Amino acid sequence: MKKKLLLKWQWLLVLALGGPALAAQNRCDLTLSGKVIDAHTQEPVAFANIAIQDSDIGAIADENGQYIIKNICEGSYVIVCSHINCDHVEHNITLTGDTQQNFLLEPHGIFMQEVVIRGKAEPIKPTSAATTLNADELSAGRGLSLGKAIEKLPGVTTLNTGATIAKPVIQGLHSNRVLLLVNGVRQEGQQWGNEHAPAIDPYLADEATVIKGAGSVRYGADAIGGVILIEPRPLRDTPGIGGELNLQGLSNGRTGIASGMLEGKLNGKLPISGRLQGTVKRGGNLQTPGYFLDNTGVEELNFSWALGMKQEKWNTELFFSRFYTRLGIFSGSHIGNLTDLMNAIDRERPLENGAFTYEIGRPQQRVYHELFKWKGALETGEAGALQLQLARQFNRRQEYDAHRAYGSLPDNFDEPQIEFEITTHTAELSWEHNPIRLLRGSAGAQLMRQANTTDRGGLIPNYENYTAGLFWIERWKNYPFPLEVEGGLRYDYQWMDVGIQGQDTINRQLDFSNFSGTMGAVYRFPELVELRLNFGTAWRAPNVNELFSDGVHHGAASFEKGDPNLRAELAYNSSFSLILDDKNKLNATLNLFYNLIDGFIFLEPQAEPVLTIRGAFPAYHYAQSDARLMGLDWQLEYTFLPRLQLESKASLLRAWNRSRGEYLSFMPPDQFEHALKYSFGPAGEEQTAPYLSLAMINVLKQTRVPSESDFAPPPSGHTRFKLEGGTHFHLGKQHLEVSLAVFNLFNTSYRQYLDRFRYFADETGRNVSVHLRAPFGDG
Amino acid sequence: MTINYSISMRSLIFLLTASSLLWAGCQKDDNTPPSDEPELITTVVLNFTAPDGGASSFKFTDPDGDGGNPPTSQDITLAANTVYQMNIEFRDESDASNIVDITAEVKREAEKHLLCFGATGVLDIPITLDTDSNGAPLGLETELTTGQAGNATLAIILKHNPDKAAANPCITGETDVQAEFDVVVE
Repeated sequence: MKKKLLLKWQWLLVLALGGPALAAQNRCDLTLSGKVIDAHTQEPVAFANIAIQDSDIGAIADENGQYIIKNICEGSYVIVCSHINCDHVEHNITLTGDTQQNFLLEPHGIFMQEVVIRGKAEPIKPTSAATTLNADELSAGRGLSLGKAIEKLPGVTTLNTGATIAKPVIQGLHSNRVLLLVNGVRQEGQQWGNEHAPAIDPYLADEATVIKGAGSVRYGADAIGGVILIEPRPLRDTPGIGGELNLQGLSNGRTGIASGMLEGKLNGKLPISGRLQGTVKRGGNLQTPGYFLDNTGVEELNFSWALGMKQEKWNTELFFSRFYTRLGIFSGSHIGNLTDLMNAIDRERPLENGAFTYEIGRPQQRVYHELFKWKGALETGEAGALQLQLARQFNRRQEYDAHRAYGSLPDNFDEPQIEFEITTHTAELSWEHNPIRLLRGSAGAQLMRQANTTDRGGLIPNYENYTAGLFWIERWKNYPFPLEVEGGLRYDYQWMDVGIQGQDTINRQLDFSNFSGTMGAVYRFPELVELRLNFGTAWRAPNVNELFSDGVHHGAASFEKGDPNLRAELAYNSSFSLILDDKNKLNATLNLFYNLIDGFIFLEPQAEPVLTIRGAFPAYHYAQSDARLMGLDWQLEYTFLPRLQLESKASLLRAWNRSRGEYLSFMPPDQFEHALKYSFGPAGEEQTAPYLSLAMINVLKQTRVPSESDFAPPPSGHTRFKLEGGTHFHLGKQHLEVSLAVFNLFNTSYRQYLDRFRYFADETGRNVSVHLRAPFGDG
Repeated sequence: MTINYSISMRSLIFLLTASSLLWAGCQKDDNTPPSDEPELITTVVLNFTAPDGGASSFKFTDPDGDGGNPPTSQDITLAANTVYQMNIEFRDESDASNIVDITAEVKREAEKHLLCFGATGVLDIPITLDTDSNGAPLGLETELTTGQAGNATLAIILKHNPDKAAANPCITGETDVQAEFDVVVE
């Protein structure tokens, strides 16, 4: 997926240099040239074979690694570079002009290398199901939220708290069961809360990869649901200055977003690369088809910078990012007790008649997150590559209830009812060994120290948390033998010291430890078909909220109580993928998964409500039982007519509580998306040509719910439509990219089962997004 | 090459040092209890004044807050066929050594508060006497009429941010207090 983007950039460059846009003719005098380089030593590789797959066109590189192939026609090709001592490398390439393409060869490696102009080694793709979205694919959704942007992927849904808060859900699992890595660092905030969205600038993400299912031995044992990798744009490799400006407007909430990026690399003796990036977002009250949602405005102010230096034998990078948001919580959702909640459910529409405003009142959340990281990598030659990464994160979360606490000064708005501060230090040392015969692999250690302070409110206690993990992964491949096997093992130890909670002293020490592992295999048939089979185990220590929660959860009108004696969750995950790719018209993935979780921690409704001075609240206790989650998701892209593509996606899930013999509650309902995409460009250029796509999203009613577990039945299913389109053009010399998206095209009224505000209001109505991207600088 | 390498090593060491300095940045002590706990309404006091001036008070209280022990209420004893003046007080009694009166605050923000009442048995629903600055009802001062001797219940609900213009303002807003009393009319 990343390659597509690169090629698009090259194409833009060609357009920029080649005069009028979209003046493509079928030329057959194009030249492809470049250099073949050893990925480890960076020395040229002499006499490698470069060939266009399925043709007799090719060339042999000279003793300096240079090659040139002349008289090629425009079109898309797979270029294969191979050498007797090295594994072969393939690149998909679309030729629209003379093109330079370098190849990085790995001595007997299985790496698929990135193009040299971007200079980033693609990590070993896991054998489990992983999909990547590039900046283009993230485009329109980024204006909504990060969660909404990656919801595009099959098997990924969102858990919402009204229209302003969305958390990613992978195959039914979310929060502490999904690991988020931002620029290689585990994101640590208060991710346990359903209404705590990830504190990440969606515009920082140049690409997002979702690895589904347990067994990500590399990143952490607790990723029972999966891992989301957010990668910023790599630092510039060629000297010069460049950047881009993104402007996005969304009609709903009259939201405006401006995001800019400036990057450069010094020429000469100090080849330092740098990047500065920032985003400003402001939105007002959102609108459903029938009414405004009072107090649903949002403000965001984010920036990041990076500095890096790359040498033959080592490279280093500094990265800092800061995220700040202030967001309104729909005022109709704030209720006192069970009676208020039932009154709210009985109303057809909320009482609060919002009008449009950018003002953000109470209730609201303010979240601040900062990350500072240093990374250094060293090529040791014989021993392989070493990498050290140190990071510090700080997260402050403030929640303001619908009204001030009694006893505080009337105009003292800045006193939140809940305030948490969590500081996390992480260190990671990893080692990638040089290939030993047919084995490639890496091993490493990770350390984390965390201190949480609850400054206001006693929902969770203060605690310190220390974890240590060791991992080792090996992969076997004997090219061209079609089978590839991977195995990994991991050990983690966690120690937690829990201090005070509100005015009470808990003073408890807990420790957890276990092994986790993964085994996977990939089998590639010569054509079309690829099979992937993966088994993984994962475990997760109970989180502090599951152990010690004690209080009323506002907006949910529930009294939640933790259990300090919970044991760790243990997951056994198996997944099977069938991938069909004819490198032309068809690209499809079917993914089946079967996930057993022992000691699955969930909130269990209690028979007796808790009586308080505010009235009765239904009580929920954290409990454990054995669970089973299984299902399938698919993604299909089929170009059935020259310019017309059918896209189909589905996410299906069955979640069962094996101990209680009933369904698990709050699991995403089955969801389908079918789209027709028309490309205005000639064959072979579908990826870069202007396009228009109409998608139908069909969500079924969740009928698989435990009885008597909810205040209102799950909402009925619904169908909504989405229109997307995009084009590139020139305004004078400036290249511009414009994309349009209309979410909820027909302004359908609906409610979502996985939205905690479905008791109170409809989902947002039609939302027209216009996104303008203007890249500038030296290519 | 050698020169180049030593420069690299130096910059690497520099970066390491610089980052370790930043690394040791601010870190909060995590063992100080939250400083100022917000005040809670833990107690509702009903003060009755009989026509002859006789006064009595009854309490509904949950001093340990949500969870823990459930709230307790004192049984109210009233005389039959009598019109009482009933005024309502709210207090924070979570700290027995520092009892805070919250009634004045409710009164100060009268537009944002409303007391709603419920009665069953031999009691009429209390009649609200006081109003906020907009002339809409508040309910801290009321009149309560008892019937024949018998049993009754009385419910007091304090609403925050109700829609006082609504047809039934008592099903709007957020419930801050919901207190129920058993009443014996003699």
